Amino acid sequence: MSGERPATASDGGTATASGTRPVAEADGGTATESGLGAGFDAGLASYRRRQRVWDALESPYVVHLVLFLAVFFIVAPLVWELLTSLKTNAAVYNLTYLPRDPTLASYYDALIDRGFWRAVVNSVIIASVSTAVVMALGTPAGYVFSRYRFPYDNAVFTFVLFTRLFPPIGLVVPYYRIMSEGGLLNTRLGIVVANVYLWLPLVVYVMRNFFITIPKELDEAARIDGCTKLQAFRHVVFPAVLPGFAAGTILTFLYSWREFLFAFTVSTNLSSMTIPVATFLFVGDTSIQWASMAAAAVVATIPSAFVVFFFQRYIVVGLTGGLKG
Amino acid sequence: MSDSASTQATDRGDDPERAVSLRIEELIKVFEEADGTPVRAVDDVTLDVYDGEFLVLVGPSGCGKTTLLRTIAGLEPPTEGAIIINGRDVSGLEPRERDVAMVFQNYALYPHKTVRENLAFPLEIRKYPRDEIERRVADTADLLDIPELLDRRPGDLSGGQQQRVALGRAIVRDPELFLFDEPLSNLDAKLRVQMRTELNKLHTRVGKTSVYVTHDQAEAMTLGDRVAVMRDGRLQQVAPPQEVFERPATRFVAGFIGEPPMNFFDVRIDERDGRPVIVAEGFELPLPDVARRALGEPSGDGRELVLGIRPEHFVDAGAAEAGAVPEGATFEALTRVVEPMGSYKDLALVPHGAAEDAAEFTARVSNESTAMEGEPIVLGVELSKLHLFDPETGANLLV
Repeated sequence: MSGERPATASDGGTATASGTRPVAEADGGTATESGLGAGFDAGLASYRRRQRVWDALESPYVVHLVLFLAVFFIVAPLVWELLTSLKTNAAVYNLTYLPRDPTLASYYDALIDRGFWRAVVNSVIIASVSTAVVMALGTPAGYVFSRYRFPYDNAVFTFVLFTRLFPPIGLVVPYYRIMSEGGLLNTRLGIVVANVYLWLPLVVYVMRNFFITIPKELDEAARIDGCTKLQAFRHVVFPAVLPGFAAGTILTFLYSWREFLFAFTVSTNLSSMTIPVATFLFVGDTSIQWASMAAAAVVATIPSAFVVFFFQRYIVVGLTGGLKG
Repeated sequence: MSDSASTQATDRGDDPERAVSLRIEELIKVFEEADGTPVRAVDDVTLDVYDGEFLVLVGPSGCGKTTLLRTIAGLEPPTEGAIIINGRDVSGLEPRERDVAMVFQNYALYPHKTVRENLAFPLEIRKYPRDEIERRVADTADLLDIPELLDRRPGDLSGGQQQRVALGRAIVRDPELFLFDEPLSNLDAKLRVQMRTELNKLHTRVGKTSVYVTHDQAEAMTLGDRVAVMRDGRLQQVAPPQEVFERPATRFVAGFIGEPPMNFFDVRIDERDGRPVIVAEGFELPLPDVARRALGEPSGDGRELVLGIRPEHFVDAGAAEAGAVPEGATFEALTRVVEPMGSYKDLALVPHGAAEDAAEFTARVSNESTAMEGEPIVLGVELSKLHLFDPETGANLLV
């Protein structure tokens, strides 16, 4: 589309510039260009001027420039981080763009010497378990909200969403108290609880929206064809909503993977710290070990990058909440 | 609607020899609207559907026909009343226990399954043996002429093909009762007519008891062995299509069945020279003897009624052969619009003597009619095809 527009604009542009329009001549000597009077012609001219400005703004060059800036804005910090991770902690202060002697020393330092690998293990376990629990609870809940009417159903649904409206920082103190009472400080379970609390409402909402896109006649057809309500869900509705389920799973995993605040609140050592929290360990009292921190950050980014790369179709679906075919 | 009850009663007594496949007894379904007011979607419906019969439930949207169908399927629990399928009271049973099959308006094909898997699903869930499933799926695919589609998914099929698969999924299980919920209304006009014919053929071959819901009176007339007209949750008339057309039980049925719809005139029965006449605004017609007997004596007492004349029961007296128009059964009307349709013409007219703002009525006349817009013509009326309705109850007084 944007490819055609400039061509049209330049056609109109030359015709106007030469002062006469073929149409006007064919009319057999109408005094004004449009044949509707001078005031109308002035309006027409200003309309064309404005359209030329907009056509220029919509031209592929402008579009590509904007896109390039957006990509640069997002990618530049990641590239900087990657380059920093290939330096040593000392070499970071040599202000060069490219590392002079690229080395993986800071990876070794971070992962092995500082025990960062334990955070990787924690993150994998916590994110996986959180995702499994959230999807196992959120999918049936979303299904029920999409299909069944029960007393105060809308109020309950609003309440579910409402829990996500509190700023998480406001919940940190009670969360810490509960975890400490329950003996869950410095445990992976404590962080899983926080993740389930954080992402369950989101998944209930997302899954409900997916189930709404599945016509309820599908359940009904399955029930007439011989299914119980649960069988109809298992054999017909759930397979139909599978792309949405995948989207919910991926989003929950990504969110759990990068969650910082609650994991930071209950973790004081590497027995439960997740990657984002452990990365913060490289900020010391007197100095920041930039290269080690960058290496840790790169390690934290890799799984997310893979998930996004391979499942981007589902992520787009999950964020826009629409299923087709 | 006292006569609707009597119609049903005669229907039930109609044919005691025939086996009843589906019996609906005093069924009531009350919904609660969002604000809590109860709505009677199905209001005291009693209906028998005979074995192998194709019954069409027809009515305007919101008349309760779909609710009635869903109650038969078990998708909605009835508020009161019973549903009996082949002698078994299924009122409290789950849909899967009723041995019915349903074709939905949007087909409700399982999108993640191929056509073959869609057809096999009702059998698989009921644990049919594998070879039996394969045999039945193949037979059904042949019956519906879709063997080449078996390995495709619903999303890749056209509307008409999806429709066939949906029919196949209903047929494959060989249920006791077929239910159709406006299955053709998502198709374009041409395909709809084609599928209508196919459904007719299919029913002749399969011969299963079917209940078919539609708002399209053309579908009702062409498909139904009998047509059940519903309005506001109540049955108005249950009868074979031709009878519903020729002898509508109520003014509502008369106006609903037939295209273009029947014309209605407020009239008065009066007497002229000792003979009873129908006096409408702008014209008079003699009261036929049949009607006089049906109304009872004395008929020339100024009684107010509603006269119904179908558009096709008018003739352009000027274009008709001599003697084709009965003596006295003519009146003059002013032609407002002429719509030539090829084999006939539709005219919009007002009675010549009526006020300028009188309601227009429609006449369907032969294409030899010379009616001109703005010119008066002489219209003849087939007196034997007149209908007279009670203005209060809407009941047809001549049936």
